[in-house]
Amino acid sequence: MSQLQTRFFTDNKKYSVDDVPFSIPAASEVQELSNVINKLLEAKNGSHSQIEFDFLVRGQFLRTSLSNHMEAEGISTEDVVEIEYVERFTAPQPEECMMHDDWISSVEADSEWILTGSYDKTARIWSLEGKAVMTVAGHTDVVKDVAWVRRDGLTSLLLTASLDQTILLWEWNSERNKLKARHCCRGHAGSVDTIATDPTRTKFCSGSWDKMLKIWSAGTIGLWVVWYSVLNWPTWLNKTEEICSASWDHTIRLWDAETGSVKTTLTGSKVFNHISYSPLCRRLASGSTDRHVRLWDPRSKDGSLVLLSLTSHSGWVTAVKWAPSHEHQLVSGSLDNLVKLWDTRSCKTPLYDVSAHEDKVLCVDWTDSRLMLSGGADNKLYTYRYTACETDAGA
Amino acid sequence: MEEKDDEGESVCRLVQPEGLFMRVKKNSIPRVQISTPYSTRPEGDIRNTVGNIPMEWYQDYPHIGYNLDGKKIFKPIRNKDELDEFLDKMENPDYWRTVHDKTTASDIRLSDEQVDLVHRLQKGQFGDVNFNEYEPSVDFFTNEVMIHPVTNRPQDKRSFIPSLIEKEKVSKLVHAIKMGWIKPRKPKETTPQYYDLWAKEDPNAILGRHKMHVPAPKMRLPGHEESYNPPPEYLLTEEERMAWEQQDAEDRKLPFLPQKHSCLRAVPAFSRFIHERFERCLDLYLCPRQRKMRVNVNPEDLIPKLPKPKDLQPFPTTMSLVYIGHSSLVRSISASPTGQWLVSGSDDCTVRFWEVNTGRCMKTLEVGGAVKSVAWNPNPAVCLVAVESTVLLLNPGLGDRLVVSSTDQLITSYEPPEEDKEQAVTWALSEGPEHDNGHRLTLTHPKAVKQVVWHGKGDYLASVMPDNSSNLQVLIHQVSKRRTQNPFRKNKGLVQCVSFHPLRPYFFVATQRYVRVYNLIKQELTKKLMTNCKWISSMAIHPGGDNLICGSYDCRLAWFDLDLSTKPYKMLRHHKKALRGVAYHKHYPLFASGADDGSVIICHGMVYNDLLQNPLIVPVKVLKGHQITHDLGVLDVTFHPTQPWVFSSGADATIRLFT
Repeated sequence: MSQLQTRFFTDNKKYSVDDVPFSIPAASEVQELSNVINKLLEAKNGSHSQIEFDFLVRGQFLRTSLSNHMEAEGISTEDVVEIEYVERFTAPQPEECMMHDDWISSVEADSEWILTGSYDKTARIWSLEGKAVMTVAGHTDVVKDVAWVRRDGLTSLLLTASLDQTILLWEWNSERNKLKARHCCRGHAGSVDTIATDPTRTKFCSGSWDKMLKIWSAGTIGLWVVWYSVLNWPTWLNKTEEICSASWDHTIRLWDAETGSVKTTLTGSKVFNHISYSPLCRRLASGSTDRHVRLWDPRSKDGSLVLLSLTSHSGWVTAVKWAPSHEHQLVSGSLDNLVKLWDTRSCKTPLYDVSAHEDKVLCVDWTDSRLMLSGGADNKLYTYRYTACETDAGA
Repeated sequence: MEEKDDEGESVCRLVQPEGLFMRVKKNSIPRVQISTPYSTRPEGDIRNTVGNIPMEWYQDYPHIGYNLDGKKIFKPIRNKDELDEFLDKMENPDYWRTVHDKTTASDIRLSDEQVDLVHRLQKGQFGDVNFNEYEPSVDFFTNEVMIHPVTNRPQDKRSFIPSLIEKEKVSKLVHAIKMGWIKPRKPKETTPQYYDLWAKEDPNAILGRHKMHVPAPKMRLPGHEESYNPPPEYLLTEEERMAWEQQDAEDRKLPFLPQKHSCLRAVPAFSRFIHERFERCLDLYLCPRQRKMRVNVNPEDLIPKLPKPKDLQPFPTTMSLVYIGHSSLVRSISASPTGQWLVSGSDDCTVRFWEVNTGRCMKTLEVGGAVKSVAWNPNPAVCLVAVESTVLLLNPGLGDRLVVSSTDQLITSYEPPEEDKEQAVTWALSEGPEHDNGHRLTLTHPKAVKQVVWHGKGDYLASVMPDNSSNLQVLIHQVSKRRTQNPFRKNKGLVQCVSFHPLRPYFFVATQRYVRVYNLIKQELTKKLMTNCKWISSMAIHPGGDNLICGSYDCRLAWFDLDLSTKPYKMLRHHKKALRGVAYHKHYPLFASGADDGSVIICHGMVYNDLLQNPLIVPVKVLKGHQITHDLGVLDVTFHPTQPWVFSSGADATIRLFT
């Protein structure tokens, strides 16, 4: 078997090894490479304990044997191969399972509480430990989306959007566990399927089946601007004046929130189910009906191409969510009952498949507080705990 | 030529039969002179002028030719016979030197010199005696090298310096060799060059026949029966022998009797050998063998050129969602105009409303009877359901609240007219709990209703009550005025399904075999389409209104181009079993057909605005997923109004969405 000249490097000072080329068997896989690094570290530092590593060759995760990977990527085997290694992202551990009375349509968690919307016409607030704290009942029809607006001490503002064409703004005091409906936002002529709050937490945007995207100011509730589109899944970009919406008319549009005009249109070929924006890598991830998660660059001009397709799902991708603290990772939920954890550096195989659900996954979320959440048509909300590597945090 | 006639005596002449003379002078430098017969003319010489001709030509004449003066030369009177000849030979001592001259027919006696000459020539010597063959040779130029040059001219400089011209030539050659313009000579190919002499031969030519030679079939090899000492089981018993002898020669299984001999030496000669050979030759001769000319056609070439399905995207390819909830076969489905909802009617006496993108059943309505047909109103949020002998108008209460309430208002705002006309159906307003469920109007029909269909505007609807014995089969209702009319006075056959033209006031009625197109304003039959099917099951009109597809129970789908003809433009036989439902997409050039074999076939059906161009029909996808229950597969298909998605409902109580 042939040997390859390799050089290992890492950003993490803790695990750095000497910068000398090694001769590695070409057929070696991740496990063998990991053992090599561990041996080197042990030789350097006697108190080193075994750690699993993942390896990147030219920014792509190694998933097959080294020779296969280099052949697929078209890398020359003559030169010294630069291999970056990072601590392996550990598998998310299922933690809680919260039973609902009906399908879970949406979920959003912040650092303390989890808010879920359900098909039983209510929204619920849960503690992170899985304890039902509050039931938000007020809609006359299915709650399609929920969102936290802001929290001032113990009082929080939250939003629920429903099939009954209204959005309700609630004020919730977590200490006294008192809930008060502050406003009812009427104006949509179709079911409101999605809402998104802006990063400053003063405005929010709603998308509806009446082909409208409406921006509301959360402080003084009132109709802001109204634009035309087909069913939209809006998401606020980092800057407050930009909204991105993915729609059933096969387009992703970038809107100017001040003037209400379309700035950019990205055209896909399939219906978009969900969209998410990562301020870290400034990319959009879209889930569509053709089983792919696609990455887009919102700054590119009209009609630009897809940056990357993440292909592994076998059903519609119903939900996508970027990791809040990692620029390469995202989570996606699909109608094939699977939740997948992706790294954009490995677009063919996801990092992990989470097969906890017994029915369609309808929503996923990922919070700063080391929790991933997914809810679906099996009435269960699962939370998963993951341990972020030190190198990944703030990367 | 030098003539020396006066030396006549010294010249000896040899008269040859050809008349050539050779003179040899005795006392002169040896030379050979050949002269023509005209050159020397001694006096009194009888010379024949006829030339070198066969003298037999003068056989029958008294003369033998002409002399120089043109006078005839007469043959000498000769009466020499064989005896005289013999006597002459015996007696004449000069006989041996006498020769006969044919031209003058005279005998000439050769002189001594002439005889000498003849002898010399016979020996291969020169004719002249004095000729010296071995004269010493004299060189033109001397072969000895002289010490002095011929001329005293000094040598040119150019003779001992290299030549410039040659240098130029050589350098040119060297350059050409360097540049590769001049190549070294190719070694001659030593292999002999052959070519196929018969390569271009016409097989029909006479020689070509040899190539078409068909060898005669080989004779069967002898088996155990033919052995001189066959195993005993091959030997015939007495009865078998009797039977063999009784049979005709043609009927016999074996043409001979197997016989046993003690040794090979005891085997007699085969008496029928010549006979058998003759029979075989006769067989070969009388049974003509012929080479089969097989036409080598690639079957791919016979298929018409169609675009690849890959180029015709988008069309549904994979099953995405399954809508589960019904407990019996789902007869009919219909999508809402917005594409958000789907309604389905089933044999379990329920109507269900589904959310399209999640597969969630939003509402279930009990309607007290198997649902045969559902149709979502193309305009407002009214849904129509046909249940056994009633037609229900339901308000699903989904979608825009304003639309929902305005629909209710539309129905309640009806004011009954002054005089109540007798109508075929009774209109009844739902109240109480039924109203809360969404029931709005109930149209009680006298017979079982099989199909309901809305007009494109959403005010008129048609219901079908198949009945072979009456003219009350199709009713057209107007919802806003709650009026019902029966458009047909005559029974034209069992009505299968009806449909409104999407744009113009036409009405399509499909009976078992034909589709009739009626003009609703003029109230007359416009067209009658021959479907060539045995039993039509379903029908769909292209949104452009000029094309129509018919599914039939005999596995066929007929596409009609109404502008083209009343016969089908194309018959598609892709399904294995009876078709149950066909549908067109509103915007995409797609149509679908569902059949009892559990499959939905999606075809690309492009209709061009150009009247000269025929519709392009390409089958693109077979969608499978439905289980076959009770020999029923897919019962209805319908397209999503905005996306290239198709819904299909099946006998396995599920509805499936293919995207």
